[in-house]
Amino acid sequence: MTLQLRNNVRVSGSGSTTMVFAHGFGCDQNMWRLLAPAYAKRYRTILFDLVGSGDSDVTAYDVVKYSSLQGYASDVLEIVRAFGEGPVIFVGHSVSAMIGMLANLQDPGRFAAQIMIGPSPCYINDGDYVGGFTREDIESLLETLEGNYLGWSSNMAPAIMGAPDQPELGRELTNSFCRTDPEIAKQFARVTFLADTRAELPLLTVPTLIVQCNDDIIAPVAVGAYLHRQLPRSTLSIIDNVGHCPHLSAPGPVTTVLDSFLAKEGL
Amino acid sequence: MQTAADGTFLRVNRTFCSWIGQPPEALVDRRRFQDLLTMGGRIFHQTHWAPLLQMQGSISEIKLELVHVDGHAIPMVLNVIQRQENGVVVHELAAFIARDRDKYERELIQSRKRLEDLVAESARLQAEAKDRALFAEQMIGIVSHDLRNPLSSIQMGAHLLVQSDPSPTQQRILTRVQRAADRANRLIADLLDFTQARLGKGLAVERVTINLHEVIRQTVEELADVYPARKLEHRCLGEGLCFADANRLAQAVGNLVSNAMVYGSPDKAVTVTSIVEASSLTIAVHNDGAPIPLHAQAGLFQPMTRGANATNAGRSVGLGLFIVSEIGKSHGGNAHVKSTAEHGTTFGLTLPRQ
Repeated sequence: MTLQLRNNVRVSGSGSTTMVFAHGFGCDQNMWRLLAPAYAKRYRTILFDLVGSGDSDVTAYDVVKYSSLQGYASDVLEIVRAFGEGPVIFVGHSVSAMIGMLANLQDPGRFAAQIMIGPSPCYINDGDYVGGFTREDIESLLETLEGNYLGWSSNMAPAIMGAPDQPELGRELTNSFCRTDPEIAKQFARVTFLADTRAELPLLTVPTLIVQCNDDIIAPVAVGAYLHRQLPRSTLSIIDNVGHCPHLSAPGPVTTVLDSFLAKEGL
Repeated sequence: MQTAADGTFLRVNRTFCSWIGQPPEALVDRRRFQDLLTMGGRIFHQTHWAPLLQMQGSISEIKLELVHVDGHAIPMVLNVIQRQENGVVVHELAAFIARDRDKYERELIQSRKRLEDLVAESARLQAEAKDRALFAEQMIGIVSHDLRNPLSSIQMGAHLLVQSDPSPTQQRILTRVQRAADRANRLIADLLDFTQARLGKGLAVERVTINLHEVIRQTVEELADVYPARKLEHRCLGEGLCFADANRLAQAVGNLVSNAMVYGSPDKAVTVTSIVEASSLTIAVHNDGAPIPLHAQAGLFQPMTRGANATNAGRSVGLGLFIVSEIGKSHGGNAHVKSTAEHGTTFGLTLPRQ
């Protein structure tokens, strides 16, 4: 099975530099449709689905390999090596921001910059560290995922009731967006929310942009500030946005801080 | 009900308020929809609900738990649609209590878990049973082998005593000892064949050119001595030359005749027929008497099965037919049976001639 099929890789645009967009926990590469197209004009863009999400090949899901973020990081490196041209900028949302960091540490020369949207190196509070959640909170999430068994079976996706005000939303979204095999979703949730990559932060030496929403329960402002202190070459940009997906709910402001960072780094 | 894009309640109906135990004034313009969810639900709201709504414009049938003012969780199924009102984005929600669906889901999940556990347990037990069976069969081989030496001593001793001019009483006793030792020997040989067939590569056979009719005639002659009170006949058809293991064929005939003597009518003859055709040979042993019931015929050639009407004189461990079948297989042929009330029972062994 090819890499392209395994991760549903889509390459567009053209340019001497490559931008890779990695979605986070919850959905798939369609999350980037309000942000990525603009960059296809100046960059070669690579979009893909993590194995187990979207239209990736579910049969490639290996319980052992994907029991840690490193499994996903090696997939990222494979994709970047196969499809990247020139300097590579990695844009990761949520847990994929940490996956990008791990891929970077595995192959230090490979990436020119890391862009982290709503990142968190550890979701669970630990002594003085504020992650935003207790262990019980995470157990509650896993229970919720378990309880949605009928709503999230691998054969169904939450159906469209009709969006008469937004006819531009294509039908092609309905069956791939947010459709994950419930068993995989549970394991991915466990791996994501129980991960702790704080120790690796000081090792990331490429320029890094942290896009932080000012009202995000999953990646709260305190975490963004922590990351800014721990990452040696980081820029922290706070965006006025309620929620965890600014690239969907506030693509304009995200584009602004992104462009400003890229210009500053000469990329 | 209706909320703003950020989740703040704009309109709620009384039914919803009564479900969650809060009056409209506590919610409208004061609380956000996601504040009523459990912590897990709130995370899910951010990772799935919000992006999905953003992308699709609507979601139907999401099940979430809302928290009543006194703390307990209420499972609800929600439908939400995003629309514009006077240029402002609002969300329209419809909620249904999903207690039954929730119960059904939990039952399903529990059933599935129980089933998975049972399947795992069953697989484990099967593996254990297989191990035990293998061990038992190996033991048979080991014990049979170890019995040969002591039996040899007994036979040797009896033979020497026979040579040393015994009295008539002693001779009678010695004859009994020798016959018993022979029977034990045959049993051990059968058990060893069984072990070899089950655990090894099948019965060993040495095929040479023989005259089938001659071999069978001789075998029948020897067997007639064993059953002096019974009628045992031999018939032959076709040319005699073929490529087979004479000793094994004699062994097969011996087993089949022994069965015929035990299970067949005692006042009728047992007939052994050797037939040689162009490319195959068949040895058939026929007896009259009650037929073998159809349901019993399927497992006849399996080891450790014994007929229902066996007399004590024919005591065995049920390996005779299994060995006949294995002899057939080792020659590249097979054993078969035909049994009716009209024509009696015929066991046959058909082998390739070359």
